[in-house]
Amino acid sequence: MRPLLESAREKLRRRKVVAVMSGKGGVGKSVVAALAALAKPGSALVDLDLEGASAPRLFGLSGRLHEISKEGIEPLEVGGVKVFSLGGIVGDRYVVLPGYGQAGAVEALLAFAKLGDSDPVVVDMPPGMGEELLALSRITDFLPVLVTTPSKASYGVVKHLAEYLAEIGKKPAAVVLNMAYVDCGGSRIYPFGRGEDARRLAESFGAPLYELPIDPSLEDYVGRIHEYRGPIAYVVRQMVEGL
Amino acid sequence: MHEWSLALSLVQTLDRWALENGVQIKRVVLSVPSPAQLDVSILTEAFDTLKRESRLEQAKLEVRVRSPRYRCRACGYEFGQEEVDQQIRQLMGQYGEEYPLHLIPELLPTFVKCPRCGSHDIEAELSIKVDEVETI
Repeated sequence: MRPLLESAREKLRRRKVVAVMSGKGGVGKSVVAALAALAKPGSALVDLDLEGASAPRLFGLSGRLHEISKEGIEPLEVGGVKVFSLGGIVGDRYVVLPGYGQAGAVEALLAFAKLGDSDPVVVDMPPGMGEELLALSRITDFLPVLVTTPSKASYGVVKHLAEYLAEIGKKPAAVVLNMAYVDCGGSRIYPFGRGEDARRLAESFGAPLYELPIDPSLEDYVGRIHEYRGPIAYVVRQMVEGL
Repeated sequence: MHEWSLALSLVQTLDRWALENGVQIKRVVLSVPSPAQLDVSILTEAFDTLKRESRLEQAKLEVRVRSPRYRCRACGYEFGQEEVDQQIRQLMGQYGEEYPLHLIPELLPTFVKCPRCGSHDIEAELSIKVDEVETI
């Protein structure tokens, strides 16, 4: 018997778990996950991008360690969100892990995270379809939120992820088309195409599609994402309300 | 401090299991890898405190601390705990109370290198698991 696997399962059993994923890297999963957690008071954000943890950077928590109490990992709280990240365990250093290490880290983070009454739990997934995805699937049922950009390079990978999820009986709760357009004096310009492939993908699974604009000001909020009130946060909030 | 959260996880998990199976638990054997550096006396004390008013009330906890065998997947070198002890001591000195392998022993490859080739690509059985449960 693996007590941590069982604890992680029990901990998430009665909570809504929203997994922000893509398969492709660099499409904005971490920003979407952070803004999704911020959109709903009482959320927790668990960063399962073990080797590329972004949540600490986005929230200005780099180098800060979680306190470990008798009840487990104490959250780092910012903007009303309880943040848990491996970065809060190892500090500001690289993480390199084989598959069994990734599985152990996912189970332990979720088993020991002191979630309190947090609901929903938003999970920021790493790129790829590796051990973290398998480990999360072993632990809990989750609502997949798929993030892509209009690029064919991104869409193709996300499509494979959606097909895999369908095979294990999960359909996307939402598809997010990130970096979709630029708002130019009230009219929308789509520099990378209209994202028709992503739209068809969402329609084929009966999932709503949310277009996120390119907002250059977002970069100013890396380190204080909880203060961002721009148009991306607005659309992500709509997405969360629709879940 | 982490021994308490591990004991809590163990007691809660086994209490649920005992309830589902309609049994009381008499003895539990928990196997932990030595790099976790768990304090067995604190773990046992925590277990004995937390088991009250559960289906583990009569249970005795035995903790087996096992020394893993390691294999480097890069060069194939196989080695024992004694060859990584120095690296573990350094890590404990660096992190102190917040020693990461205490909480997640599977993180070992992030911190420990193969003593022969220096690779982090190290394989070992590092999970915390229940080896035996005796019921009444």
